[in-house]
Amino acid sequence: MVFPLPTLAEPQHFSLAERVLFAALAVASVALFWRRFGPILRNILRSKQDADFHLFPAGKRIRDFAGEVLLQGKVIRQRPLAGFAHALVFWAFCAFALVSLNHCAALYGLGFLNPAGAVGRFYFYFAAVFALGCAVGIAGLFIRRFFVRPKWLGEELSWESGLIALLIFVLMASYLGAFFVPAASPAARILWWTHAITLLAFLPVIPQTKHLHLIFSPFTVFLSRGSFSRIPPLVGDEDFGLVAGRDLTRIVSLQAYSCVECGRCTEHCPANNTGKLLNPKEIVLGLRGYLNELGPASEVPLLGKHIAQQAAFQCTTCGACEFQCPVGIEHVPIIVGLRRGAVNTGAWDDEHGAKLFLALERGSNALGLGAAERDKFIEKNALPIFDGTQEYCLWLGCMGSHDPRGREIVLALVRVMHYLGTSFGVLRKERCTGDAVRRLGNDLLFQQLAEANLEALAQNKVTKMLSICPHCVRTIQEDWKEYGAPPAIEHHSEFLARHLAQLPRGGNQEQIVFHDPCYLGRYRGVYDEPRAVASRAGLLVEAPRHRERSFCCGAGGGLAFLGEEQGERVSHARAAELAATGAETVAAACPFCNSMFRDALAARGEGAPQLLDIAQLAARGLPEQGN
Amino acid sequence: MSGVLVILEDRGGRISRLSWEAAAAARILGAQRGVTAAVVGAQTEALAAEACGQGFARVVRVEHALLAPYTADGFALALEQLIRAESPDYVVFPHSYQVRDYAPALACRFGQVLISDVVAIGEGPVFTRQLMQGRFNASYRHTASGPCFVSVQAGAFRAEPADLPAAAPESFAPALDAAQIRTRPGEPFRSSAQTVDLAAAQRIVSIGRGIREAANIPLVEELARALDAELAASRPICDSGWLPIERQVGSSGHTVSPRLYVAVGISGAIQHLVGMKGSQCIVAINKDPDAPIFEVADYGIAGDLFEVVPALIAAVKAGKA
Amino acid sequence: MKIIVAIKQVPERDAPVRIDPAGTWIEESSLQFALNESDAYALEEALQLKEKHGGEVAVVSAGPERVGSTIREALAKGADRAVHILCDDLHSRDALGVARLLAAAIKPEQPDLVLSGLQSEDLGLGQTGVIVAELLGLPHATLILNVEKTETGVKVKRELEEGWFQSVELPLPAALSIQSGGNKLRYATLMGIKRAKTKEVRILTAAELGADSAPVVRMERIALPTKQKSTQMLDGSPKEAAAALLEKLKFEARVL
Ligand SMILES: Cc1cc2nc3c(=O)[nH]c(=O)nc-3n(C[C@H](O)[C@H](O)[C@H](O)COP(=O)(O)OP(=O)(O)OC[C@H]3O[C@@H](n4cnc5c(N)ncnc54)[C@H](O)[C@@H]3O)c2cc1C
Ligand code: SF4
Ligand code: SF4
Repeated sequence: MVFPLPTLAEPQHFSLAERVLFAALAVASVALFWRRFGPILRNILRSKQDADFHLFPAGKRIRDFAGEVLLQGKVIRQRPLAGFAHALVFWAFCAFALVSLNHCAALYGLGFLNPAGAVGRFYFYFAAVFALGCAVGIAGLFIRRFFVRPKWLGEELSWESGLIALLIFVLMASYLGAFFVPAASPAARILWWTHAITLLAFLPVIPQTKHLHLIFSPFTVFLSRGSFSRIPPLVGDEDFGLVAGRDLTRIVSLQAYSCVECGRCTEHCPANNTGKLLNPKEIVLGLRGYLNELGPASEVPLLGKHIAQQAAFQCTTCGACEFQCPVGIEHVPIIVGLRRGAVNTGAWDDEHGAKLFLALERGSNALGLGAAERDKFIEKNALPIFDGTQEYCLWLGCMGSHDPRGREIVLALVRVMHYLGTSFGVLRKERCTGDAVRRLGNDLLFQQLAEANLEALAQNKVTKMLSICPHCVRTIQEDWKEYGAPPAIEHHSEFLARHLAQLPRGGNQEQIVFHDPCYLGRYRGVYDEPRAVASRAGLLVEAPRHRERSFCCGAGGGLAFLGEEQGERVSHARAAELAATGAETVAAACPFCNSMFRDALAARGEGAPQLLDIAQLAARGLPEQGN
Repeated sequence: MSGVLVILEDRGGRISRLSWEAAAAARILGAQRGVTAAVVGAQTEALAAEACGQGFARVVRVEHALLAPYTADGFALALEQLIRAESPDYVVFPHSYQVRDYAPALACRFGQVLISDVVAIGEGPVFTRQLMQGRFNASYRHTASGPCFVSVQAGAFRAEPADLPAAAPESFAPALDAAQIRTRPGEPFRSSAQTVDLAAAQRIVSIGRGIREAANIPLVEELARALDAELAASRPICDSGWLPIERQVGSSGHTVSPRLYVAVGISGAIQHLVGMKGSQCIVAINKDPDAPIFEVADYGIAGDLFEVVPALIAAVKAGKA
Repeated sequence: MKIIVAIKQVPERDAPVRIDPAGTWIEESSLQFALNESDAYALEEALQLKEKHGGEVAVVSAGPERVGSTIREALAKGADRAVHILCDDLHSRDALGVARLLAAAIKPEQPDLVLSGLQSEDLGLGQTGVIVAELLGLPHATLILNVEKTETGVKVKRELEEGWFQSVELPLPAALSIQSGGNKLRYATLMGIKRAKTKEVRILTAAELGADSAPVVRMERIALPTKQKSTQMLDGSPKEAAAALLEKLKFEARVL
């Protein structure tokens, strides 16, 4: 070799005193670590078992683990720069696992990586590359946290983050430094000890800080509930949801301890962004605080000191938080769980909520309007009644039955179906699917509604359903499963996209911005179909927040029925964003979004874009029918 | 006697309008035999005077100091004695709150059941009353012997004021003892009139974005005054601060069920509809003939509110004058 | 205070009710049923009185087996126990016949208060509570929005017409017919339903109560009203339309 590369300096001999000292320090470090970590682990393990948890099939778990943990997919995707810096640190940690082990082993002459040998040389260089990346990454993160200070990291500067950054930086620097000193020099020894002490100092810091996620988050991601926003069934006669500590399950507790306080959930939360009390991060940290203070066997209500009831009921269940969370925390089941705890025990006292529940108890629909009005609508528009011979049962839902705009959407879809020659029928009587009461945590009503509906559909021999409402689709397809086997259902965007080729092109140069409904996008993963429909009718433009990151309209989670909101209206915030795209038309695919935006756009006055459902866009090119 | 007895009710010193409607129903039952009217109270002179001249065969003053104020015990006891004395075939009441309070007990004392809230009387006689909140009509027949008790719904029979020669009223003095009256009624009161109470309002005139600006509100306010109605609004009006939020009707405001709801320049969005669908009679004024509000209205005027409302004010005022 | 609440199960408000082939009653087979609205307010008033003053709330309901679900709902909302008067011919009894059943079941209980809803949503007779009071020899008051306990009995807020109210004092025991809207109703909860499973429901039959009687009024037929509600558009100049509207409001709708 012409130009010899430096090797990592490793002191050759350690005195007995050094060995004893290190051993003592190591014991102290582990003891300190355990003093904090032990109780945490105990809190998790003593939490209730998750009755519905199944490890298998593990395919999705492994994929998620690889994508989200190993490749740091979510971390990077949502915040590319900071995310990449974090990934560098993470990968360096992985690479350093062997290095650190060797570092300590060397003290006792048990080193397995020889700095002079080919393998050792290669590996140390390999690690050095990561160390360099990590040092740069951590410096970047440090600057961001202490000088750029994005608002979702919280008002207060976190000194522990600074300390951690310093420790990591010292670890990397002391490692890299060792390449530039001779092995026999005192400098090598100093660097060795610096590195070793930093390492030992780092260990007890982990469970004291949010860096607990180093340990937990791989488990959290791997042990998730298995599907987005999955609300677990209640088990037994004493399970009413998350009432008190005793109701926290292992998954919930594990998640509570996994939060890295990155604030991604808060950053995307429509409630938090419009001045409401709710902050999803604080819900998770509230649980953690509760567990630390009271433990998982406590009878003290969860809603109270640590989490405000008001906050839990401001959630639109849009799922943005859950979708963004890099450590796999599932907020919606937690928030719905807290609501269940309050509603199933009668602790939630809300005028509008009670009105909704009572209307449904009394067999009315969620809007409190009579079936006679729905009959009139069906009769006036000669909608066929489902009799088992038609292909689809067209589910109207409360908005499709009663809302003047929802009816227009239904009629547009009906025109398309007539044009396509698709046979369909509507049910004589529909009950509410229970979407709102499900998300508000009223399990009694939800069960009654789901069971009555399932029975009626079975009686009518319904096998395929179609609906204009993503809330109906989600509730029927996923939530009803708890009580039976619902027929297959699809959203009209999926139906329309499939038949697009058979429909005349209504396209022109009009700019159309499509708003992804939470319950169609994040909940169902349907993004392309409605866009296909919209782009046939005009030029599709995108709002800044779209697809997976779409911003809620404010109606979900039962909030459409709960009266006036605190702070700015979510619908107004989103309508402003949609209008700012300059599009002439806002395309919606959900009657609730439609209702929210109609109001919010009207409030913007003259010049606001028009609002159409994708069914109306699809029907636009159809030849006028004579009546 | 056999015949028809109608009980006329005192409303602020005069016989209530509903009583005259009951009298009209009584005349259907008593076409041949004639109708006897009874007025009940501690001071019945003025009431009796009002009843005389209305074509009743007889007018009976059921008078006793213990009959004021109204108590169910007092009225049931007094009328029980009158009915035993008169033994009519039919006893007809206006279906008022007062009658609901005592007439079922009174009928029970005769082993009878009040046929309540009757909307029509046919041959037989067959009494029609509504079931399922007006969704069905049911016909009833009295199948036992003894007096048949009937109360009639407001607005179902047309009161025809007559001006016939006055028959002198008769007096009937029931035997009542203070100990028999077990309830102690207090003075009538209204709930604090200061605050707006849309939920309790009998008539509401409600405005929407069609009003265009705050300066136009007084126009509709005048209509509300003329109709003796409360003013209410859709959300955009309250959002703009033109009217206080207490006046908002709809899913995030009040749910109202007045007898009359006049929607002026309101499109009829679902969140508004759910708050007022329970109104007994809905009138919509909107310049868009396709506005959804017309779907739920009983009467609609498709026109510019700035023309229709002044015309309506003028018509109401003319009707009062 | 020992309070008995008489409750009735009625077809759900939104139910697609059809007349049976004989034209004498409605088709019950495909209907869903719920607790009558004003009875729900009566129950609420009773529960609030119990929460304030202690005692016991029992519900009594007459009807066929399906009434059990409504009884359970009442127990779930907080009633302590129930009496179910099993009878399949409820709609062919007149108000007196039903009231006799209820009175016979209530009498041995010796309650301090008997509450009922003002009227049922199906038959709308609005007199059962008053007749029960009469049969039990109790003082009564109707259209009650609020009940307060006093030294000697109760003081109630009674609704009069056109926005007027009145307080009435009654000694105990007494019977009250409760008007809708006086209280905020509570919703049924899962916890309530689970707890209700262990509460007592006593089943009595009409025969056991010995309260049978021939009806004195009979419902013969039911039919659809001839005129269905639909929108009348009033045309013409604003002046003509206004005049036409006023006429309609006065003489057709009779709301002026
Ligand atoms: C969650 C949520 C809650 C809501 N809660 C409520 C609520 O509690 N109450 C409520 O009212 N709304 C509520 N809204 C708003 C509701 O969706 C509608 O936006 C609102 O009711 C529309 O009010 P409007 O009918 O007055 O206005 P618009 O819909 O703008 O209608 C104005 C009408 O006036 C007519 N008009 C215009 N000029 C004239 C004229 N010169 N003469 C006659 N007619 C004229 C027009 O034809 C139009 O039909 C809520 C919305 C949401 C999303
Ligand atoms: S689901 Fe949506 S509204 Fe609810 S906490 Fe998460 S981000 Fe906020
Ligand atoms: S819950 Fe998830 S997204 Fe929210 S702060 Fe914690 S780690 Fe970040």
